[in-house]
Amino acid sequence: MMVKFDYLKPKTEKELAVLLAKHADEAKLMAGGTDLLVLMRDKIFRPQYVIDIKGVEELRRLEYDEHHGLRIGAAVTLNEIIASKVVREKFTALWEAAGTLADVTIRDRATLAGNICNASPASDTAPALLVLDAEVEVKSERGERKIPIREFFKGVKKTALEREEFVKAIRVPNPPKGAKGGYLKWGRTKGEDLAVVGVAALVADSGKTLRIALSSVAPTPILVPEAQKAFEGRGSIDEKIEKAAAAVVGKICPISDVRCCKEYRLHMAGVLTGRILKQLMGAS
Amino acid sequence: MGKYSYVGKGIPRIDAFEKVTGTALYTADMKLKGMLHAKLLKSPRPHAKIVKIDTSEAEKLPGVRAILTGEEAPYKLGIYISDKEPLARGKVRYVGEAVAAVAADTEEIAEQAVELIKVEYEDLPAVFDPREAMKKGAPRVHDNPADYRHSPFIFPEPNSNVANHFKLRKGDIERGFKEADVIVENEFNQSQVQNVQMETHSSIGQWLPDGQINIWTSAQSPFAVRHLMSVALGIPLHKINVVVPYVGGGFGGKAGIHWEPLVVLLSKKAGGRPVKLVMTREEQFNTTAVRQGLFARIKTGVKKNGKITAMEIEYIWDGGAYADYGVNIGRAAGYSCTGPYEVPNIKADSVTVYTNHPYATAYRGFGHVEFHWATERQMDLVARAIGMDPVEFRLKNAALPGKITATGEKLRDDAGRVDECIKAVAKEIGWGKKPPQPKSKKVRGIGLAALWKAPAMPSFTSSSALVRLNEDGSATLSITLTEMGQGTPTAFAQMVAEGLQIPIEKVKVVTERNTDFSPYSWQTVASRGLFMDGNAVINAVENAKDQIKATAAELLGVSKGDLVVTDEKVFVRGKPDKGMPLSAVATAGIRPDGSGIRGPVMGYGFYTAEGLTNLDPETGQGRPALMWTFGAQGAEIELDTETGDIRILKIVTALDVGKAINPQLVESQIIGGVVQGLGTAIMEEFVFNDKGALLNNNLTDYKIFRAQDIPEKFVPIIIENPQRNAPYGARGIGEHPTISVAAAVANAIYNATGVGIFDLPMSREKVWRAVQKGCKK
Amino acid sequence: MSRHKIFLKVNGQRYEVEVEANKTLLRLLRDDLEMTGTKCACERGDCGLCTVLLDGVPTKSCMVLAVEADGHEVTTVEGIFGEELNAVQRAFIKHSAVQCGFCTPAFIVAATALLKRNPKPTEEEVKEAIGGILCRCTGYRQIIDAILDASKSTK
Repeated sequence: MMVKFDYLKPKTEKELAVLLAKHADEAKLMAGGTDLLVLMRDKIFRPQYVIDIKGVEELRRLEYDEHHGLRIGAAVTLNEIIASKVVREKFTALWEAAGTLADVTIRDRATLAGNICNASPASDTAPALLVLDAEVEVKSERGERKIPIREFFKGVKKTALEREEFVKAIRVPNPPKGAKGGYLKWGRTKGEDLAVVGVAALVADSGKTLRIALSSVAPTPILVPEAQKAFEGRGSIDEKIEKAAAAVVGKICPISDVRCCKEYRLHMAGVLTGRILKQLMGAS
Repeated sequence: MGKYSYVGKGIPRIDAFEKVTGTALYTADMKLKGMLHAKLLKSPRPHAKIVKIDTSEAEKLPGVRAILTGEEAPYKLGIYISDKEPLARGKVRYVGEAVAAVAADTEEIAEQAVELIKVEYEDLPAVFDPREAMKKGAPRVHDNPADYRHSPFIFPEPNSNVANHFKLRKGDIERGFKEADVIVENEFNQSQVQNVQMETHSSIGQWLPDGQINIWTSAQSPFAVRHLMSVALGIPLHKINVVVPYVGGGFGGKAGIHWEPLVVLLSKKAGGRPVKLVMTREEQFNTTAVRQGLFARIKTGVKKNGKITAMEIEYIWDGGAYADYGVNIGRAAGYSCTGPYEVPNIKADSVTVYTNHPYATAYRGFGHVEFHWATERQMDLVARAIGMDPVEFRLKNAALPGKITATGEKLRDDAGRVDECIKAVAKEIGWGKKPPQPKSKKVRGIGLAALWKAPAMPSFTSSSALVRLNEDGSATLSITLTEMGQGTPTAFAQMVAEGLQIPIEKVKVVTERNTDFSPYSWQTVASRGLFMDGNAVINAVENAKDQIKATAAELLGVSKGDLVVTDEKVFVRGKPDKGMPLSAVATAGIRPDGSGIRGPVMGYGFYTAEGLTNLDPETGQGRPALMWTFGAQGAEIELDTETGDIRILKIVTALDVGKAINPQLVESQIIGGVVQGLGTAIMEEFVFNDKGALLNNNLTDYKIFRAQDIPEKFVPIIIENPQRNAPYGARGIGEHPTISVAAAVANAIYNATGVGIFDLPMSREKVWRAVQKGCKK
Repeated sequence: MSRHKIFLKVNGQRYEVEVEANKTLLRLLRDDLEMTGTKCACERGDCGLCTVLLDGVPTKSCMVLAVEADGHEVTTVEGIFGEELNAVQRAFIKHSAVQCGFCTPAFIVAATALLKRNPKPTEEEVKEAIGGILCRCTGYRQIIDAILDASKSTK
């Protein structure tokens, strides 16, 4: 059964910041609740206060403009992101990643902010945000700041957020012109599953920009810049893709866990990297 | 053939309306006056002495009405070996075992109270591998299993971890191997898994001050619950009432007795208030019972012409901490051990072993899913070893009518045709031709496996049924067979309607099973229900008709033999005007002068298993099988060698059902059973840490099939060679569709890649590894 | 622990209830309002048997606090049946898409919502819509067939 707590629902960002400052260590924020409710039922979290952010109107906005790119409020659900035409067309890696998370009913509640704040090493959206070079807008009573996504994940279930800070929004700048992005996920089954490994990629300019990020292969989701390096130089596209995939495999050090062994993770990381690059670069 | 003809037709289920509207009632939906909620304290240790339990803090919590520990419940339970108590007493034997229970006003209070109970343990060495547990000097899960009261056909070994050792000896095994041209030996492995019923175990118990015990429970066998409760608690049977509403899936896991004694004892301590206990999903995985793991070693001697001369079989079962059904599963697998073949010389040992794992109970297939993985893989491997086509090899050794089974039983002439099943499947998967190969790293293959199973039950098992004729000419059928999804009550409604010749809309099958008034039937297990209770229903209908005719004969002044019951009437044959509607004789016959004769029509019928005998304790020879249902399954798969992913293109299942009373229900059982069997085949397994704790005790990490996982095509093939002593010729099939899909898929993988797989499940990772290693045999 | 007075509609009926903060919508429906058609089988968002419609959208009710439902509309399986069975329910019966029935309410609710939103789904779309709901008895084939058949009669 669920632990006991007080439920609070602020109506403005300011109110939220004040509540969080007041209760800090004893409070947990709730957006979709799909991670939080399970953690509370399993008694892993025992907060005194649960602060529901869904009452704050500003946090529910999903906005795009050609200059600044995408801005996804903390309470925006994955299904809202998936329904967005601009996300699908311009931020395909994020669109594809969002669609692989759990099942359609969970995606109607779960939020992007919630997913990254949960900071699971297996987060599906994180690799996409990494290759898209996103930025997390963060606020507290003391002020606001921006955390680049590559500095956001600090460890298993740990983020760079200070105890009184909350995520306002995630900003995703426009990708380079002509860029193509995508996300491939491998699980234990065809039906929904947590990622055994997930690979996000963004390529532009015939591979001069080539970003690869993975989930489930490290304590946090990670970018693998070695893939870009391996892609430089001579050779056919297929050969270069193979080198990039090998570079990824050479760099990462996954563990064995209840879901699968490290050898298989390593292998599938290489396979998925190769497959997604072939997909995006139209190779054979 | 009368006007009302239902047998053989796909009539919609009679319980479907209730289920699609959500009005069907299950145990956890029930609320009783004054009801308390129970929660369990579970052991974190695999094997430990319970030094001290301190419930003082918990008792102080407002709303707590009763707390029980093992010391207060020294009642021995067990369907075959009485080795278990309602709560751990003296020591705990597996991680997750219930150590204490609290009944409180709300679930929340009960849970809080559980957290306040302090237990001190003293660790004991634990053993998790059944082969290790069999070795001398292994930690002893039970001091001396032979000391416990046990059934006469179960043989626990003294001062050991062997709960049962079933032996089968047929012919002369040494001579058999001498006669062989080729000998092939292999080992096969699978871990424990769980039934994963959607409805977890739920029970409500009430022990009233006058000694009456009432139970409402999600159970397959109301009379078994009543009987085992009576034996354990020393209460006479007539003081115990067991009620079973709809059951949200059983699959064997709810076959015996589980939480009923505990809730009843809690109720007693709480002054007679009803107490409800509903397993959480985690508790369903590792506190309540599971399916046994199996290590199998098979050594087959074969002649170059394809005749099997000898089989030496060792089945070592991980039965977990308590014997429950595990010992009989070992026995049933033992006497069926060869699979559907005639083998002249057999030495089989099927050993159920205690370990510090969750205890194992019945699971759909009763050991046959587990051992057919071994035997049907072995059949393919042996065929390849002598260069013979695996289909031809199976046909050459098939257990056809007239052949002698492993226990020395000569199969009756109407026993069913495994050869027809094998041939039908082979044809459907395109046997003999290599499937077209896709491009890239994917390969396709086809594979086939056969199967057989008979109900595992006492040789004197019986069923009964009551058909009441109502005053308006409708009929009410009372049975004890529970409805857990298999749909048998619908088949019975068809039989009653056709037998009495009334429209099926006028037949009601009583929804609730209640030992106070439902007529006795042994258990809803073993695929015996349609066969045995079906015969009982037919007999009850005949009995009802006889009573109808007796009353009508007296009123009409004719003899019974002149009358027919048809078209909702009873009348003189050929003279429909000389008769009366059924409603006229339902409660009594009424003479023209107003006087009454005879009485209410209540047809009673029973059926007792015929021709079965005990098995010889040293050789396993005897007649255990009421009916064998034979079958075969085939798989067409596409394997991605780069990832280990298996795409199941087609699964074919052919079963010799004898007669499909309701072909749509048969197909439903086949499709559902195939998917459940495929779960075992490709995704289900228990993952323990080295301290015996189950790591994947939830549905996130214990994977069962979802809608996206299912095969692309299901082909059910119904073969009908009727069995004379079966109702309309129909045999049971509830378990059979699960039995050999795993082997069929693995045989298809071999066909595609030349890679042999010996362990389950064939997860993507395991298949990838096997393909990498390229192990050929 | 905080208590909250909430107003919600369930199956078209207005309810005013006081709930503790930690009560889930599932428990409110089953334990307090005694609508037991919606089932509880894992309480972790894995099995989907607790699926109801929240403002018409299929939602796992064990993943929603009752207090979050304040001001919203909930539809359970009990609210699906009106004067007669709907097309989905009829199709489930016709196709034998029901065995033990424990998962049936969740599928009925999800499928009814699907066909409202997408009257002619492909098989892939059906599988996606029901992918979060588990069934152990039927093997899903007949459930999928029933939903596709029901879509033939929806406009």
